[in-house]
Amino acid sequence: MNLKFEEFQKSNPGLKELDNLRIKNFNKFQTSGFPSKRQEHWKYTDLKNIISNNFSDLRIFEDKKSLKYDEKLLIKDFEHNRIILLNGNFIESKFGFENEKKIKIKSLKNVFEDKKDFEKIKNYFNDEQNSMISLNHALVNDGIILDVEDKYLFKKPLIIYNLFNKAAENKIINNKVFIKLGQDSSLSLIDFYKCENNIKYFNNTIHNYSIEKNSTLKKFNINAGLDNSYNYNSTKVKNHSNGTFENFILSLSPNLIKNEIHCDLLENFSSCFLNGIMLLNGDQHHELKTNVNHKNENCKSSQLIKSVMLDRSNGTYQGKIYVDKSAQKTNGYQLSKALILSEKSEFNSKPELEIYADDVKCSHGSTTGNIDENSIFYLMSRGLTRDQASKMIVEGFLNEVIETITEDNIKLLILKLFLERINMVEL
Amino acid sequence: MLDISNLCASIEGKKILKNFNLKIKAGEVHAIMGPNGSGKSTLANILSGRKGYEIEGKVSYEGSNLLEIPIEERAQKGIFLAFQYPTEIPGVNTNNFLKTSLNTIRKFRGLKELDSLDFLKLVKEKSKNLKIEEKILSRQLNVGFSGGEKKKNEILQMTILEPKLAILDETDSGLDIDALRIVSDGVNSLRNKNRSFLIITHYQRLLDYIKPDFVHVLVNGEIVKTGCSDLAEELEKDGYEGVVAAR
Repeated sequence: MNLKFEEFQKSNPGLKELDNLRIKNFNKFQTSGFPSKRQEHWKYTDLKNIISNNFSDLRIFEDKKSLKYDEKLLIKDFEHNRIILLNGNFIESKFGFENEKKIKIKSLKNVFEDKKDFEKIKNYFNDEQNSMISLNHALVNDGIILDVEDKYLFKKPLIIYNLFNKAAENKIINNKVFIKLGQDSSLSLIDFYKCENNIKYFNNTIHNYSIEKNSTLKKFNINAGLDNSYNYNSTKVKNHSNGTFENFILSLSPNLIKNEIHCDLLENFSSCFLNGIMLLNGDQHHELKTNVNHKNENCKSSQLIKSVMLDRSNGTYQGKIYVDKSAQKTNGYQLSKALILSEKSEFNSKPELEIYADDVKCSHGSTTGNIDENSIFYLMSRGLTRDQASKMIVEGFLNEVIETITEDNIKLLILKLFLERINMVEL
Repeated sequence: MLDISNLCASIEGKKILKNFNLKIKAGEVHAIMGPNGSGKSTLANILSGRKGYEIEGKVSYEGSNLLEIPIEERAQKGIFLAFQYPTEIPGVNTNNFLKTSLNTIRKFRGLKELDSLDFLKLVKEKSKNLKIEEKILSRQLNVGFSGGEKKKNEILQMTILEPKLAILDETDSGLDIDALRIVSDGVNSLRNKNRSFLIITHYQRLLDYIKPDFVHVLVNGEIVKTGCSDLAEELEKDGYEGVVAAR
């Protein structure tokens, strides 16, 4: 591993303050390197090993801004606003369905050149949770800041397209997305990942969201066309009074993804819903790590994750609920269900509850098993082949989570992508 | 249509059916009655293809060796089993399931597959005839259904799939009188000269509504007595022990 940090620095001159933060964070990364299974939180995803096995010469993405992206990668027949990030770089935004005065968007490249703007985000560069975060601080080259004003309700969903092309091959791309939702506002956000021609790259992304009082952010992660990619994706959410954060994850295609979601329920009556499905085949390795922090009274959180493992795939769900001693009347729930359909596949489930308040309702459950033979027999006795029967059962198993999506159009979009995928895999 | 000769079946070394013989011709309705543990459900399971039994003997269905036909092909060729305990399958929509099932069977029979519209029309008509509430079909397959709803769902599936040989495995147990009538109406409406039924039951009650052509008494894996529908009444009066003792 030889990331050429000095060269990167030379070609990305910016504010002195940022430069210092980059150096500090790169040094921090270098002392520990990529996280390995020796670290508690990386027990199920040995990134050090995975990177050395799959990237003989991983380089920092060179910042030659290409503006051309393949329009065929965009979602059709679905009304939406869009932001396009190509290889992590901000390319364009279109808010055709909205009152654009209520929405401010800036590219991080511009923010990095403006002392006043940078001031607003520089504290985020002190987050030292792990070496991937440090690496991101050191090497971030672009991304966006999106501010939605108070009392603005988006009329149509916003899709952030994270597109990747040939220029990203064998590169590590580091970017950041900041979203602030003002009071009494709402936004449905689709974080959509897709790449051209199966190229191999590593994307290290950090999202930071702030949801102000009475606002709702519904986020949908769609990893549907990233077959040969490697990803670390960390989302950190600060949720304020009566705010709602809903996150649905459709995890279908990357070679590797570790998805972390940290949601702080900072003020009372805020809530967090994390639901998702994984359908993995081949040698795919997906980990979802959630961390819901109940820090105030009367907050609610719920997590439902269903996974189906085929071939030699490896899935992990580490779900944590932390209840602070002041967070009375907490209602926390999590459930993980997995079907393991091949002897060589693996699923790890690690629920963690850490509770310091005494008036709390918290529950968790986890099941891992195979398809019930009685169900298969029932369907086959009605004329379905074994393959049809298994598919119907698996589809039904995962569909239960898709059914929880409260936005009908987005539900249909996700269902369509899911069905495309399930029809491709052999059960 | 169905010719079972010298069928022996055991599970984990335990003999359940012993030299079982039964012939069913097209258009006939046969009832098999017997006490608990006599092998009734095993017979139904073997005919529909459930695995886990060691089987000897011959079962011929429409001239071919049924025991070699895969489960799904048995259904496609017209065998239908109404389950004693229909399986709950979460997340699977009953309508979608039934449409897939019907179209697989239609395809096998060389018929045109039905589109959603035609399918729903068919379901509406059949469920109305049977006085079954259509809305159970928009629910997940058997999930949270009451015992009666599950059995009605089986009968509705039967009337939609129009089998050649329908096997009803204790479809009447646990049903109230109204549900019992729905089940028997379903069977009676399907009765014709080409379709046969094998009705497995504990009680004579169902046979008040469905008049069988033959009644067989199964005890310890063997048919000990065969008669016409009067035999059912005799059983009700004297019990299985009485009938077996008088043999």
